[in-house]
Amino acid sequence: MGLDPTNQTGRDPASGSPRERLAALRAHLAGPGGPAAPRPVLPLGLAGIDAHLPGGGLALGPPHEIAPMEPADAVAALGFVLALCAGRLARTRGAALIAAAPSQPLPHGHGLAGLGLDPARLLLLEGGSDAEVFRALEAALHARALPVLVGLLADGLPLKPGRRLQLAAEGGADGAAPPLLLILRPAEAGLPNGAATRWSIASAPAARDRFGTLDNPRWRARLERCRNGRGGDWLLEWDHAAHRLRLPEPLACDAAAAGRSRA
Amino acid sequence: MTRLRRAGLAPDRGPLAVAAEGPGGLRLLALDPEARALGLRPGEPLGRVRARIGVPLQVHPADPESDRAALLRLCRWAEGYAPGVAPFGPAEAADGFYIDVAGASHLRGGEGPLVDDLAGRLARSKIPARIALADTPGGAFALAEYGTSDRVIVPPGGAAEPLRALPVEALRLDPGTVSGLRRLGLRRVGEVDALARGPLARRFGEALLLRLDQAMGRRPEPLAPLTEEAAYRAARGFLDPIGRQSDIVVTARLLMAEIAPRLEREGLGACALRLVLHRVDGVMRVLDLGLSRPERCPERVAALVSLRLDRLGAGLDAGFGFETVALTVTVTGALSARQTELGAAPQGDGIDALADALAQRLGRPLLRLGARASHIPERADHTLPWTLQCSDSASRKSRRAPSPVRERVGVRDQGSPERSHPSPGSLREQISPARERGPEPQPDSCESHSPWTRAPTSWPDHLPPRPLVLFPRGEAALDVLSTVPEGPPRRFRWRARIHAIVHAEGPERIAAEWWHAPGAARDYYRVECAAGRRLWLYRDGPHAPGRPAAWFVHGVFA
Repeated sequence: MGLDPTNQTGRDPASGSPRERLAALRAHLAGPGGPAAPRPVLPLGLAGIDAHLPGGGLALGPPHEIAPMEPADAVAALGFVLALCAGRLARTRGAALIAAAPSQPLPHGHGLAGLGLDPARLLLLEGGSDAEVFRALEAALHARALPVLVGLLADGLPLKPGRRLQLAAEGGADGAAPPLLLILRPAEAGLPNGAATRWSIASAPAARDRFGTLDNPRWRARLERCRNGRGGDWLLEWDHAAHRLRLPEPLACDAAAAGRSRA
Repeated sequence: MTRLRRAGLAPDRGPLAVAAEGPGGLRLLALDPEARALGLRPGEPLGRVRARIGVPLQVHPADPESDRAALLRLCRWAEGYAPGVAPFGPAEAADGFYIDVAGASHLRGGEGPLVDDLAGRLARSKIPARIALADTPGGAFALAEYGTSDRVIVPPGGAAEPLRALPVEALRLDPGTVSGLRRLGLRRVGEVDALARGPLARRFGEALLLRLDQAMGRRPEPLAPLTEEAAYRAARGFLDPIGRQSDIVVTARLLMAEIAPRLEREGLGACALRLVLHRVDGVMRVLDLGLSRPERCPERVAALVSLRLDRLGAGLDAGFGFETVALTVTVTGALSARQTELGAAPQGDGIDALADALAQRLGRPLLRLGARASHIPERADHTLPWTLQCSDSASRKSRRAPSPVRERVGVRDQGSPERSHPSPGSLREQISPARERGPEPQPDSCESHSPWTRAPTSWPDHLPPRPLVLFPRGEAALDVLSTVPEGPPRRFRWRARIHAIVHAEGPERIAAEWWHAPGAARDYYRVECAAGRRLWLYRDGPHAPGRPAAWFVHGVFA
């Protein structure tokens, strides 16, 4: 009815190009309050990926779940998380909090330089259980003192704590941008939850510099779930000097980059 | 009386009396010399006195609490003579205090000069006093109260003779015993002392003999000296015991609001607080709260108490409720007055507030990574408690030296048969990894290993790439296929998985710290396996003929 262009009236949203009609429909669906104010996001700096994410980046506030594809990829997933940390810290002041459940690997101070992360801007908290990690993250979300929060969990993110974290992120509406909340869980601990995005990370052969030695790390990142967005599968390379992710150029000799990149 | 005159509440001249509610109306409690000269006696009803004398009489109400506070102030002052000063208790029924000058009189040139000095100073302060120095507190009290002179000094062992002449009231007895003794015609201490003890104890009880013996020095009498009082303390008692968390939090806020002005006057803030909850059945719950920076804001203290009670939950066990809540500032730190901004959230102190909140809520400190001057990888970093010092506001001094929390322990002596018997040095290192933290000087003075001598962020920037996750101990790589004597591994098994190496870089040779323990140099290789995982391996020492060296995986790159 309303979408039929032959049946249009003056206030019908079905006028103009399909893109405008879509925008009008979205505004209509958003309710009488009008579309909400644009939420702050962390753009990844890659147009191909940012287009998949609602708002053009990782939303600040709601939890983002990151998991290794296999248990052996746990460090690669930690590297991806810390790369996102470094990307956020490069744009803002403050420090990142890593709240870790017991037996979760903590980063080595000298290894952080390889990701371009200053160890002095990292705060650690060794929680006694996942529940303590959730409480610490919740307290930090309420405090609004840190721009990045990372939770290293042992048993995954269940629905209820995820919802609590989301509410805590929405709670403090005092003008300060909510922090980027990243949850790293083991590969086998997938639980249904309310995370905004779910990433699955595997390690990939690193980039080589012109002498043929190991250079920037690369990861295969799969966006498995994305609320109001689309999934995807990319090969990402972390440039620790520029603090940004990039898609490796598909060189003739780089079979991995040429074959798997699909933006 | 003296307190009133000194405080300027009463005129210097004219008869003055202090009256209090007694049996049958107001009765006189204390009189000044002028009033005494009019023939007044303590205990007389005020109405009768007013009718009897024709002179206007200044009457002030009694204030026992202020009297007690004034006496305690005087005791504090008297601690300049000797540390053991005890105010009179209820048994003495008088205002005064004991000074235990044993071992301290020579500082003033002997007992005589000491008493003279004390009397002189009290007289200059217009405090009338009677001073007696004797072997026992009981004897000194009796001589001071009922002695013939204002200043009595009894030589050691000679207290019995003057005491015998004193009235029995001097023995600190209750009024019933005194009147009983008087009915029997015993008016002097000496008369009582001469009687047989058995009938006396049966007739008047053990207390009479105790007091008599204490005065005569036959039984010891310990004094209860004034304790060091907490300078910043507030307490509140409840007629109706409280048990709910919100009530305790509100009480803590009120108590802190009571303490805060005192702290502010001194330019101090609380660094550590102790909240003591007295339960109705006598159980005491003590909550110690630590703060990362000096604080005197009642709301923040209340928030911390609330978080702490959150964590305790049912562990608080209020039972039938708490009847007294006391808040004491145990550690103070300098806190200058701060300019507060209206409507603006305070910037920069977000992390310390969060650190306090986490410490109260989880009981866990916030940590940070610190570099250490060691090229052995597992010793090159450690975690330290986060303090305000390491954040950007470095001007404020931290009140405690950071101490390492987690150490990575040495990795050698594993899997290498020739060193299966660890040397004493390496054994000690493994048992007590805190050895390096000691304040004793290390032989290598150029590379001091005490972590607080170094700046917290002195991370070297010339290191070859280091793994993102470093294992505390190297994990053995099995079935290693590598070129001998030098060269990276080609394939190995680690964590139940065969890793085929497609790329290797190295070696990076890291020698053992021979000044701590002998060990072999390790050759580190950065390898990338076919799946794209990058590992950090090392070969522990060189290959020996017929016995290849062991390989260990020590870390994983991102």
